[in-house]
Amino acid sequence: MNPLARRLTATTALLTALALTTACAKSEDDAAGKSSGSQGGGQVAAEPTKGAKTCTIGRYGGKKLDLEKATVGFSQSEKEANPFRIAETASLKAEAKKRGVKLLSANAQSQFSKQISDVQDLISKGADLLVIAPLNSDGWEPVLKQAAAKKIPIVTVDRKINAKACDDYVSFIGSDFVEQGRRAADQMIKATGGKGKVAILLGTPGNNVTTERTEGFRDRVKQKAPGLKVVFKQTGEFAREKGQQVTEQLIQSKPDIDGIYAENDEMGLGAVNALKSAGKKAGDVKIVTVDGTRNAVQGVTDKWIHGVIESNPRFGPLAFSTLDDFTSGKKVAQTIVIKDRVYTRANAERDLSKAY
Amino acid sequence: MTDTAAARTAPDRAAVHAWLQAYGVYVGVAVLLLFNIAFTDHFLSAENFRTQAVQVAPILIVALGMALAIGSEGIDLSVGSVMALSTSLVALYLGYGPWIALLAAVLGGVAVGMVNGSLIAFVGVQPIVATLALMVGGRGLALVLLPQLKDVRDPGMRALGSGDVLGVPYPVLIAVALVAVVAFTVRRTTFGRQLLAIGDSRPAARLAGLPVRRVLVYVYIASGALAAVAGFLATARLQASDPTSLGTLMELSAITAVVVGGTPLSGGRVRIGGTVAGAVLIQLLTATLVKHDLPPSWTQMAQAVVIVAAVYAARERGKR
Repeated sequence: MNPLARRLTATTALLTALALTTACAKSEDDAAGKSSGSQGGGQVAAEPTKGAKTCTIGRYGGKKLDLEKATVGFSQSEKEANPFRIAETASLKAEAKKRGVKLLSANAQSQFSKQISDVQDLISKGADLLVIAPLNSDGWEPVLKQAAAKKIPIVTVDRKINAKACDDYVSFIGSDFVEQGRRAADQMIKATGGKGKVAILLGTPGNNVTTERTEGFRDRVKQKAPGLKVVFKQTGEFAREKGQQVTEQLIQSKPDIDGIYAENDEMGLGAVNALKSAGKKAGDVKIVTVDGTRNAVQGVTDKWIHGVIESNPRFGPLAFSTLDDFTSGKKVAQTIVIKDRVYTRANAERDLSKAY
Repeated sequence: MTDTAAARTAPDRAAVHAWLQAYGVYVGVAVLLLFNIAFTDHFLSAENFRTQAVQVAPILIVALGMALAIGSEGIDLSVGSVMALSTSLVALYLGYGPWIALLAAVLGGVAVGMVNGSLIAFVGVQPIVATLALMVGGRGLALVLLPQLKDVRDPGMRALGSGDVLGVPYPVLIAVALVAVVAFTVRRTTFGRQLLAIGDSRPAARLAGLPVRRVLVYVYIASGALAAVAGFLATARLQASDPTSLGTLMELSAITAVVVGGTPLSGGRVRIGGTVAGAVLIQLLTATLVKHDLPPSWTQMAQAVVIVAAVYAARERGKR
């Protein structure tokens, strides 16, 4: 054999070995178990405010249909690699199965151009209704035009699109991120007694979730507890490792910090890691996070995290009941804000099964 | 030879540039240290130096492999994805204990390095293209093996991430040992000299009868294995395997550390001491900006300024 062929053979052999790694792999057992992950705790809509705008099929155009005989297309924005996306997709699939609806789904893998073509594919494959978890708020015109031509009702979940409700799409179902920030501030004020120094672990810069969770927190603290000072604001990019590294720097330079507000659970868990390795005890620094993943709620029962504001990803039941109401001719709200829980020491143990 | 040629035309400027390229990074580190000692609260403490050392360890280990690749007139963009692949393999094999997990991770890194090296040495693909392919494919494979974050429970693995010997954390000890091994390899072994000869001029090395292809494959294997070790240590410290975000943009930090440390992108020379200082410089820069709570976007811009400064110092040499 010539050297080139020999190398290629060796490389192929190694790659095959790597591809087969799962065969003899032995990972650690997951003590927590993942039984109720996608089932427990479907969303509940918050009370609609008076005079909230509604939408009917007569105004939107299109014809009534029986949801059970319809095909629903679901376009997911990001890879199901984090608990939120996993629970979101699982919830929609579970609800479709429960109702016996045919569900076509696609995942844009965080590429917006792919999401546009995903949705176009779903339409051409015969989706009568669409549920979209948008990656971006802008850039939806081509798809909306195509859907409007076929009068396909669209519900967007977890993120809004910049278009006219009840004209370009039917309604938006999601959390109020500013409100989540306000509620996190309430928890922080309660934990610290309304005075002292707090740090914010920001999410990814330029993301609307980051901006809104920061805004709500900052405004509520300013208004309710002027004695509580935000002395540190750095990005942890919604990742555990970055949250850990930034917190390590923080507790070196500001050892007297009283609280840390992490804009998602992963960064909060990174902060817990950093505090543990710096020799701090549970509760020395009050941590408040947003999301409601199982690990973070477990952190509340372990007393490392003071409170977790939920951002409920289980859109299935609410999305399908909205579509059901709409296609059978009932009025539906154009903006449906969901009611998120809060996990504190009082309920964390009891509600751990509801975390995702 | 380049230095003397330049010296004849403009002796002073060339000398200054050569000096800056070789030692500017140490000046930078000294300036940042003095600044922090003067203006950063609680900077002069053992705990703080420990934190900085632990955080810089993975960057440094990856940068060592990058220095070898750059010294051979190549580059390795796949290092961040190798870290992700490494963390996935650790999660898959941790049931056998941390050492088998480390072995699996390193074998994964070696495999990626072998593909990189073979593409470059035998197929003739440009290093930047070959390793870019593995950068994309490597993270994909990592996510196939482990689709989501998984916590590490193994007590041995946890001890590796947080334990120490006489106050020196394990990741730092391992990084120091690897620096010594790589420095010895570059300076004292035939392989090291062949690598530098190939980086200086590949046609000349081939004419001289050096085993060019074999050496190049070994260079990328070394880079892959080092990145895998860095991924293993990062997993131990995070106490979780997170293939989605572990090692993202690591290739940029590593290239910056190497280039700022005075290793020319044109190959033929590897400065290990400079690479160590370059990694420390990046770490101190990030730490300074974070500790003074400056907007996060500043960190990226400050890194850009440092890279431009380093390339500027190196430009005389580039004009040969």
